[in-house]
Amino acid sequence: MNLMPSRRKALQSIGCGFGMLAASALAQREARAAKPANPLAAKLPPFAARAKRVIFVFMQGGPSQVDTFDYKAKLRQLDGEMQTFDDARVLAKTKEIKQHRVFESPWKFKRYGECGQYVSELFPHIAEHVDDLCFLKGMHTDGVAHGPATLFLHTGSINLVRPSVGSWVLYGLGTENDNLPGFVTLQPSMGNGGPRNYNNAFLPAIYQGTAVGRAGTPATSAQIRNLRNELVTQQDQLKQFQALREFNAAQLADRPGDQELEAVINSYELAWRMQKSVPDILDLAGEPEHIQRMYGIGNQATEDFGRQCLMARRLCEAGVRYVQVNYSDNGNNPRWDQHSNLEKHADHALATDQPVAGLLADLKQRGLLEDTLVWWGGEFGRTPYAQANGTGRDHNPYGFTMFLAGGGVKSGFSYGETDEFGHHAITGKVHMHDWHATLLHLMGIDHEELTFMHDGRPFRLTDVHGEIVREILA
Amino acid sequence: MSQGPALLKRLRCFGLARRARYAFRHSGEWGLRGLSLGFSVCVLGSTFLPCLNACADETNRRSLEIFEKHVRPALVDHCIRCHGPDKQQGGLRLDTADGWAEGGDSGAAITPGDQESLLLKAIGYDDVALEMPPRGKLPDKTIAAFSEWVKTGAADPRKSMIGSNASGDSSAGQSESNRDSKSSSVGRDFWSFQPVRAPAVPIAGEQWAQSDIDHFVFSRLQEQGLTPNPDVNRFVWLRRLYFDLTGLPPSPEEIEAFVGDESPVACETLVDRLLDSKHFGERWGRNWLDVVRFAESSGGGRTLLFPDAWRFRDYVIDSFNRDLPYDQFLTQQIAGDLLECEDADQRVRNLTATAFLLLGPINYEMQDKDILEMDIVDEQLDTIGKAFMGMTIGCARCHDHKFDPIPTRDYYAMAGIFKSTRSVIHSNVSKWNTTPLPRSAAEQADYEQHQQSLAKLEDELKLAKMAWTEAGGKPQSDVSGLRAVDPARVNGIVVDDSMAEIVGDWTESTHTAGYLGERYIHDASEDRGAKRVIFRPAVPQAGRYQVLVSYSASANRSKKVPVKIEHADGHDVVRVNQKRRPSIGGLFESLGDFDFEQGPAQIEISNRGTTDGVVIADAVVFVPAGQELAGLMQQTAERMQSEDELARIKEFDDEVKRLETKLKMMRKSVPKQPALMATVDAAATTDIHVAIRGQAHLKGDLVPRGVLGAASWGSFPALSKGTSGRKELAQWISHPQHPLTARVMVNRIWYWLMGRGLVSTVDNFGSMGSLPSHPELLDHLASQFVQQDWSIKRLIREIVLSRTYRMDSKSTPDAVAIDPENRWYWRMNRKRLPAEAIRDSLLSIAGDLDLTYGGSNIKAGTSIEYGYQFTSTRRSVYVPVFRNHLPEVFEVFDFADPNTQSGSRTASAVASQSLWMMNHPNVIARTEQAARQLLDRSLTSDEERIRFAHLQVLSRPPTERELTVATSLIVPKDAQEDSSSAASVQRYAMLYRVLFQCLAFRYLD
Repeated sequence: MNLMPSRRKALQSIGCGFGMLAASALAQREARAAKPANPLAAKLPPFAARAKRVIFVFMQGGPSQVDTFDYKAKLRQLDGEMQTFDDARVLAKTKEIKQHRVFESPWKFKRYGECGQYVSELFPHIAEHVDDLCFLKGMHTDGVAHGPATLFLHTGSINLVRPSVGSWVLYGLGTENDNLPGFVTLQPSMGNGGPRNYNNAFLPAIYQGTAVGRAGTPATSAQIRNLRNELVTQQDQLKQFQALREFNAAQLADRPGDQELEAVINSYELAWRMQKSVPDILDLAGEPEHIQRMYGIGNQATEDFGRQCLMARRLCEAGVRYVQVNYSDNGNNPRWDQHSNLEKHADHALATDQPVAGLLADLKQRGLLEDTLVWWGGEFGRTPYAQANGTGRDHNPYGFTMFLAGGGVKSGFSYGETDEFGHHAITGKVHMHDWHATLLHLMGIDHEELTFMHDGRPFRLTDVHGEIVREILA
Repeated sequence: MSQGPALLKRLRCFGLARRARYAFRHSGEWGLRGLSLGFSVCVLGSTFLPCLNACADETNRRSLEIFEKHVRPALVDHCIRCHGPDKQQGGLRLDTADGWAEGGDSGAAITPGDQESLLLKAIGYDDVALEMPPRGKLPDKTIAAFSEWVKTGAADPRKSMIGSNASGDSSAGQSESNRDSKSSSVGRDFWSFQPVRAPAVPIAGEQWAQSDIDHFVFSRLQEQGLTPNPDVNRFVWLRRLYFDLTGLPPSPEEIEAFVGDESPVACETLVDRLLDSKHFGERWGRNWLDVVRFAESSGGGRTLLFPDAWRFRDYVIDSFNRDLPYDQFLTQQIAGDLLECEDADQRVRNLTATAFLLLGPINYEMQDKDILEMDIVDEQLDTIGKAFMGMTIGCARCHDHKFDPIPTRDYYAMAGIFKSTRSVIHSNVSKWNTTPLPRSAAEQADYEQHQQSLAKLEDELKLAKMAWTEAGGKPQSDVSGLRAVDPARVNGIVVDDSMAEIVGDWTESTHTAGYLGERYIHDASEDRGAKRVIFRPAVPQAGRYQVLVSYSASANRSKKVPVKIEHADGHDVVRVNQKRRPSIGGLFESLGDFDFEQGPAQIEISNRGTTDGVVIADAVVFVPAGQELAGLMQQTAERMQSEDELARIKEFDDEVKRLETKLKMMRKSVPKQPALMATVDAAATTDIHVAIRGQAHLKGDLVPRGVLGAASWGSFPALSKGTSGRKELAQWISHPQHPLTARVMVNRIWYWLMGRGLVSTVDNFGSMGSLPSHPELLDHLASQFVQQDWSIKRLIREIVLSRTYRMDSKSTPDAVAIDPENRWYWRMNRKRLPAEAIRDSLLSIAGDLDLTYGGSNIKAGTSIEYGYQFTSTRRSVYVPVFRNHLPEVFEVFDFADPNTQSGSRTASAVASQSLWMMNHPNVIARTEQAARQLLDRSLTSDEERIRFAHLQVLSRPPTERELTVATSLIVPKDAQEDSSSAASVQRYAMLYRVLFQCLAFRYLD
């Protein structure tokens, strides 16, 4: 169970960085390995992991469960009728329960696969993979508005500044590739919490998510910041780097064995290597055409998200621990947020259906799906009734659907149910905290034991909550 | 580690020692299992507390444990909304033990020990007629826990709140005896709650010491068998001093001058000069801004800009430069708006200081505003606790503090003070409170003159309109689409809100079109039931009148605004739906006909019972019964007859229009009065209830406002009616007798200069923080600080001129063997150069640093932080601090996270820093610029230039080795290499980049 190097105790006491690590490391006259401690070194999980890495496909804005995977015949029967619903937003604001117009899905549902899972006509490609998927149809969460719910999804808190799921995973497991960051988020949104959704908060900075590109810019330009330098010739860059090595070596000679200084030197060496390795990984040109086509690259509607999904696979293959793919923009009302004109769900489904299906198929054919956990979902679902008697649906944190694949979850399986309208989760309820606990469990980490001392007490991703959803474990 | 025994001793007092030992041992290590045990004490400690006083018996203890762990959370989550203080479905309450014992309409809900208890049947879904909770069956695990709980006697510490000895929920408010045993008497023994004493200066190190500080330090070194490191050379000391006091590098000229200065007081002179420099406040103000989580946006989900936060930043900088005594500095930040002041400038500073309370990372989008308000209060308390007292008060929001003597009651005693303070203005996305910036005398005169001209013009317009109406001018019959309607155009007895009596705090607005006069007012959805507007139309003769009200309709309004009409036969209350567009002309709604006596009538619009939205008060109009408003308008229209008359009317009409235009222009040119982020005391000040488990909707005891019992020496003063208690709170914190305030601040100053606090956890002086390494020195500094009028500059001066500050930072194996962490200061701590200093140095050496002092620095027209381009070349302290979007150099070089209070910075070594240094276009551009300027200097050789560049960036000349490497980088190796001046610039730019990247720049040795 002694997962962490004991030297790390220094990290948690103050400063949470290399400073203390070094100060105290210098101190330890104990025999020590020649290599300086690397807090990012890959660690074995405390118990057998089902998944080694995660790809989170974030559908920002809240896709509607009753128009995608959670089929409700009742909506057709009662379409147009006024019924009483305890709407989350109305309740928070007015503490009243009101009548709303039942709103049937404009899309047809069909059963797919051996498991007979219902999928609407929005996702014809994903539908072909239902026998590999594990649906969570009894999801519920905290936060009625986008900002709070998005932060809750990523950090387990609607308001307090907490580390992102990816940072916790990286803190727990380290990374398997020294030349790459361990937690990458592709084209993240700047809105609804922005960087806080991939931030390390009080964890040491080495655990922060690295943004590659940003929402609203094409995936072809997605890159890690400051990785390229077109202002200085390659030759001069090399000369400069060699001179720096000499300067640093001379200065270090004045303070032999100083680990803090060595860490800075190492950060330059890593940066130098990243300049070479990262562009190769993000460059999709070398991918065969049939693979690109699987992801929908070459087709205008699916090009951009297809690229993200393919980059995600390549990053995972290269040893990145946690990759988030974002179907996002920077607005206060993000993409899937159809308060009116529900028909627009079709655009978003079109843009993401084939890329996600391609990712699933590609991971599977490479044998990666076995130990890669794919997670698809939004920050909440939508109401089964019309918002303000209009043409769209409002936010619904009470009941919604996410799906998983690979990494130790049952396949061709559906867990949990919402009520007859698809409003409240009623059985197999999985709170976002529960899902966080389960995700860590799948990675081989006990969510109650992955803690960090901050502000005089230990913190964890799931705060004081979270029950592992054992029913979905393969 | 040495806090261990003290902690254990205290915890043993309430029987937690065994668990606490785990907590303590493991919280200091990374073993995951250990940490979780530590955690379980924090989380579940309360489980065991209630049973300690009375019931030693094991069954009851078990029952309570189940109650706290399973039953209470389930009741809170699933039952109390319908069976609690607000609603009692079926007559049943489940928020107190008495509630379930008495039961509801169907009898007792629980009989302890009885598995047939009604509540168990209901949650078991045994009876179709009684399935609870109705929304879905509880998890089997929870049902089993309920069953076990009932079986073990249904222990429930929640006492009735109706009875005389209301004690509320015990996880929140512990029973009296328990609270005493844990919180006050035991905790007070802790070192940081002891009064500050001024210890005698030890006699030690006479040869070495130059100040009292040195004697204290030397005495400890001696005890440990250590000797102080030798002094550093002047180059290193100078660099240390410049960056520590001003955040800027010394220029090569300043370096040469100081190194060559043979005066015996060269150091003192330099220190005094730097302390007097404006840059001192810019550097030290930034230190303080870290402590108070300063930012210029709210952050979180829907981040909002704080366009006026820069005033607070300037106030902080200015206060450090004035050497404002620290006790006043903190008092102004907590209660500036309540302080007496000598002049308008002082008033502005005092008000500006209170932005401290409003700068938190608040999620204004939260839809439940009661919770939002308590979150704001919590953030304020948390920041005050940590910033001024090194106490994590926030823990006590949900339960008594597990480690420090802070009971939940103390938390809510202080929370009442901030609940009685107006910090927020509500709407869908709420906002922080603002106050108009007080005008200077000249501005006030300007403003008054403008107001006079305005009044004159208004009179002219009134006359013109009268002439126009008399000539047969036709009032408009429908005001739809008009923003504001002049009352003079309405035929009837008109009382505008500007002529009404206003009770409570109403906000003026012109936001939604369709109102009478210059504005309307609204209640901001606050203080429901406390706000009224009374209109008194003068009734010319007794008779029957139709009563109409005007309001600007909008979806966020209340549907049931009560309007009370006092008439000859008594009074009536008519509810008006202000969401709906008024039916008469889009402006008026009729309330019906009533009889009135001659003289002033009385119509009252209030916000009583309007929980569904905003209440508008605009105007009341009386029209003789039988005449419709529109009818009156038509009458005037019918009077129009001839062409002549029409032409004449047009003349008058033109005049009215001309004057209206002029008036409009003039209103627009009202001298602007900027807003300040500032607090005021709320309209209704009040004590508040404990919120059980921190949940705003679950009320426990009502707690009188007050402060931390453990750090008090007398009773908190009685508060006069209508005051929040903030001033009294500030006086308590800044009192010379307060055991924490001076200690915490001198420790911060020591940390900022020495790189490690005497208490190394600078924000935590509680038992989870570390113990002071030099308690006598800490108390010496604290008592001296208070004696010397809380002067920050004097303390800084003493520290930087000490021998301790002058030591070399290099390690020696012998000393490392004894004191690896340098706890006893046998050497100076090497410090990381902060992000601001990195950026300022780059700009400064490129000659691009704009040294403008103070003022806003957010680009005009910015409405949101996302995508903001940080192009300013002003000092880093003036660069906008947005919570979700920082300049990259801040982000990568460990700038203080503005989302959390933190008095210390982390020091990471990550690749993004190196990439920034190697490739960021700004670094390339600044170093090229520096290279061009270097080549323009009258330096005659490459060696001189290399030396100069070293002085600029590293504040010292190059070593032999550095000179060799630099020379090989600079000097063309053979004729084939480009020797043009452009190539020289490139080569020197490379040298500058190497200098900025190397270890010697990154650290203050």
